[in-house]
Amino acid sequence: MDSGTVSGIVTVIFIVVFIGIVWWAFSKGNKQRFDDAGKLPFDEDDTEAKQGDKQ
Amino acid sequence: MEATTYNYKVVRQFAIMTVVWGIVGMLVGVLLAAQLIWPDLTFGIEWLSYGRLRPLHTNAVIFAFGGSAMFAVSYYIVQRTCQVRLWAEKLAAFTFWGWTLVIVLAAVTLPLGYTSSKEYAELEWPIDILITVVWVSYALVFFGTILKRKTKHIYVSNWFFGAYILVIAILHLVNSAELPVTMTKSYSAYAGVQDAMVQWWYGHNAVGFFLTTAFLGMMYYFIPKQAGRPIYSYRLSVVHFWSLNFIYMWAGPHHLQYTALPDWAQSLGMVFSLMLLAPSWGGMMNGIMTLSGAWHKLRTDPILKFMVTALSFYGMSTFEGPMMSIKTVNALSHYTEWTIGHVHSGALGWVAMITVGSMYYLIPRLFGRESMFSTKLIEWHFWLSTIGVVLYIAALWIAGVAQGLMWRAANADGTLTYSFAQVLNTMYPFYGIRLLGGTMFFAGMLIMAYNVWQTTRQGRVVNDAPIPQAVHA
Repeated sequence: MDSGTVSGIVTVIFIVVFIGIVWWAFSKGNKQRFDDAGKLPFDEDDTEAKQGDKQ
Repeated sequence: MEATTYNYKVVRQFAIMTVVWGIVGMLVGVLLAAQLIWPDLTFGIEWLSYGRLRPLHTNAVIFAFGGSAMFAVSYYIVQRTCQVRLWAEKLAAFTFWGWTLVIVLAAVTLPLGYTSSKEYAELEWPIDILITVVWVSYALVFFGTILKRKTKHIYVSNWFFGAYILVIAILHLVNSAELPVTMTKSYSAYAGVQDAMVQWWYGHNAVGFFLTTAFLGMMYYFIPKQAGRPIYSYRLSVVHFWSLNFIYMWAGPHHLQYTALPDWAQSLGMVFSLMLLAPSWGGMMNGIMTLSGAWHKLRTDPILKFMVTALSFYGMSTFEGPMMSIKTVNALSHYTEWTIGHVHSGALGWVAMITVGSMYYLIPRLFGRESMFSTKLIEWHFWLSTIGVVLYIAALWIAGVAQGLMWRAANADGTLTYSFAQVLNTMYPFYGIRLLGGTMFFAGMLIMAYNVWQTTRQGRVVNDAPIPQAVHA
């Protein structure tokens, strides 16, 4: 196998992996879990600002 | 018994040291910029010579300022988005004192002239070992906290931090492979073009994973928090994560265009660098679009201004970088001031500004206050830094292109048109503007230090920020 063939095969693998990631990220079945994950920074109460104690 | 509060102590220590090391590192930068104009500025004292201070500047701003900021925000974000207290807190405390010791050792050994001569990895082997121990402890604390998380998902910032911790460990171990001769001297395990390739695989990924991936994790948490809305597209951030990290790994050879490195490797580095534009801009858009529907906040909130300006500089420098990796452009730009301008567009415009914005969000919360002591001073800091960076990079663009064109200019008989001294002479006005821009950025950091001092003085140390209990059920 010459280097051109290897390059071609590697390129195809990379493209397939990329398409796979995009498909996985944007598939309907995963919408809910990613929406939930996106809200994680807001799943908290910000009361600590009032609850500090003096050292 | 299960902890009901977060560990803010180690976050607070690193956050304060971020401001301190930022000032130290940038002061050395200003001094270096002045030395380029007045070479005798430091009276010929060898410890303060340009060649010894330059690695001190790069190590201080990248690993002391940037590193402390990353420790602070990653410990803060991983706790708050996993809703658990840090795992192995004694180890976390060790990472603070260990990392600080590394920085102090760097500040002593580099001016004394101890160096492995590898760019961004100049520290000698005993310090390399200490870095490894601290870094492994960091990884244990971080991934240990992820493992004991109470939330179902792992927030995207933590993915970015995880990639950064893992890759920096690999880079450090491979690039710092060396044979010790004495306590203060070692030789690299690599030689010739392999050494150059390992060095720039390390060097570029230090930019890619230390200064980009890690700070994107910071961006993905603090921009949504400050804007008060979730990231524009979480699913785009997933694609961003995998494609950015995958492509970055291969872009290093663009630092070695037209060298002894095989041609195919040079072209490979160029192609991967060009591809990097896509995930970089995807991430930038994702951050900026988070503000859609909340653009009015930009008018009144200087913290958001810092963050959005940081993203704008990120977009600019990640466009500029791929362009400079194109061989024909690189033939003009390499070894000139343009490269330094590009680095600072990323380092000051992106890394420092996103860090400063995030610290203005974080620090009051660590000291039991709703906001910083003075919003007006943040506004002043914002404008000083922005104008400072623009002056800095515009001066070095012009200087770099002029330098590249003068170096390559040839007479009809093949001799060079310009001597070295003539080119240097052309640089002087631009070195002056760069010194002015850098000084403005440094002055902004001093304003920040005053603002932080006042905030902490009037605040209360928070040691018991509660973990929300409702979600545990």
